[in-house]
Amino acid sequence: MTSLRSCFFLASLALPLSTALAAPPAGRLLAAQCAQCHGTGGQSASGIDSLAGESASELYSEMLEMKYSQDTGDIMHRQARGYTEEQIRLIANYYATLNGGGSGDGGSGGGSKSGDD
Amino acid sequence: MNALSRRRFLQLLGLSSAAAAAPTLLRAQAQSVVPAATTNRVVVVGGGFAGATVAKYLRLWGGAAVDVTLVEANPSHVSCILSNLVLNNSMSLSQITFNYAALQQKYGVRIVTGKAVGIEGKALRLADGQRLDYERLVLAPGIAFLPVPGLKMNKVPHAWQAGPQTTLLQRQLAAMPAGGTFVMTIPPAPYRCPPGPYERACLVADYLKRNKPGSKVIVLDANPKIMAEEHTFSTAFNQTHAGIIEYRPGVTLNQVDSRQRIAKTSQGDVKASVLNVIPTQQAGGIVASAGLIPAGQRWAPVNPLSYESTLLPGVHIIGDAQGTGQPKSGHIANAEAKVCADAILRAFAGEAPDPAPVTNSACYSPITANTASWLTAVYAYNPNTGLMEVVPDSFGEAPAPTQGNYEKMFDWAAGLFGDTFA
Repeated sequence: MTSLRSCFFLASLALPLSTALAAPPAGRLLAAQCAQCHGTGGQSASGIDSLAGESASELYSEMLEMKYSQDTGDIMHRQARGYTEEQIRLIANYYATLNGGGSGDGGSGGGSKSGDD
Repeated sequence: MNALSRRRFLQLLGLSSAAAAAPTLLRAQAQSVVPAATTNRVVVVGGGFAGATVAKYLRLWGGAAVDVTLVEANPSHVSCILSNLVLNNSMSLSQITFNYAALQQKYGVRIVTGKAVGIEGKALRLADGQRLDYERLVLAPGIAFLPVPGLKMNKVPHAWQAGPQTTLLQRQLAAMPAGGTFVMTIPPAPYRCPPGPYERACLVADYLKRNKPGSKVIVLDANPKIMAEEHTFSTAFNQTHAGIIEYRPGVTLNQVDSRQRIAKTSQGDVKASVLNVIPTQQAGGIVASAGLIPAGQRWAPVNPLSYESTLLPGVHIIGDAQGTGQPKSGHIANAEAKVCADAILRAFAGEAPDPAPVTNSACYSPITANTASWLTAVYAYNPNTGLMEVVPDSFGEAPAPTQGNYEKMFDWAAGLFGDTFA
């Protein structure tokens, strides 16, 4: 865990070492809105789940499950309703790319509403 | 769970000082990238949730291509979030105080201790005469209080900026006799932290119930009704804290007798054992003094795509001082800061801001010393109105305050503190 964390920070600081700025990767700004609770770069510092390196399809289907759940008694069920399916796909794909980890499925199979857990 | 989340929370709190122990390689790298850029200079004023987040994310995302300086008058920031828990002795101020070591050492933000006093061309002038040149200036000064006739804050605390004011109110509550009356006044909206005053009324009532039997809480609200979590707080006032809290809406504060602790209001005088006056608020510090608030208004108008002032190009205003209509809280200040950082980096790259930004608000409010509720909403840009608007179904409050929510509150706070300061 410690080494993963260091890798992440090294990568994040090392990537933009050039002095030229390019367009930000898709989904980065949207995904950063999860970080208030799930940690910078999806690396949680609390009891809340980390998101970095998760499978895009899993993140996508979990978010859709919460978005369309009848139950609104959970804070994430409300949060999930704030994003369109396309925005959720961008967020899920972005977190899957962090750490170079994840399942590498790129979220291409994320069209289903059914959760896979 | 209780002990676990508290331990995690405390571990995280240690992070700001532990940043000094970051791997040497990392530190060396962060330092080496600082002087590289001179043409993409951003100066940030204010080291609260908005200012610290924008400084961190500009460097996290922009790296060596952007030079970031944070100007802050104090060596550390005391979080308003969780500060009501200092009043009932559940937490100490040191647990919610954050320095800027991680911003400096991990992210390479230059920290300048000083007070911003003016904007001259493309430079920020500090009280000590220093001039900081910038391509983009971000102002995150938080709030200022409008004057209340007769109010002496060293006798009648607001405790709406955490720190010595919080300690003063805590001590006054501790010294209050049993059977006394705690009176608080709530200013007209918008003010910092919509649920905050109601949360405070609940926590003080809970504290008095257990420690000062026979005491009462009188809430004098300038607003016509409870401004946040109406279901949660009306239930708390009428049931959980029934017989202790007396809620009076639509009461305007005209004057304060600070020595006698009397609130003089549109509905008569109210005498207190401990008086807590939260004055009317507006955008603070340099946002006000630099003329970035139009006459007759209290907040700074900005373009919600970039938080750039509509009055002064190149100057961005985030956090409580901005006037997009989004609620004023540390959580959403952090959210706005990321939209602002992204827009500034895009501008440096010659690009327009993201046309569809999203922000969110989430917070937990303690209702007693071991239960809490929550409130959340997602805001999305509406190109037809040019406003950040609540995505309807995303807005909601907890069905009921629970002990589980009280524990989750520390996870939420630890996450937010970490994403902002660590």
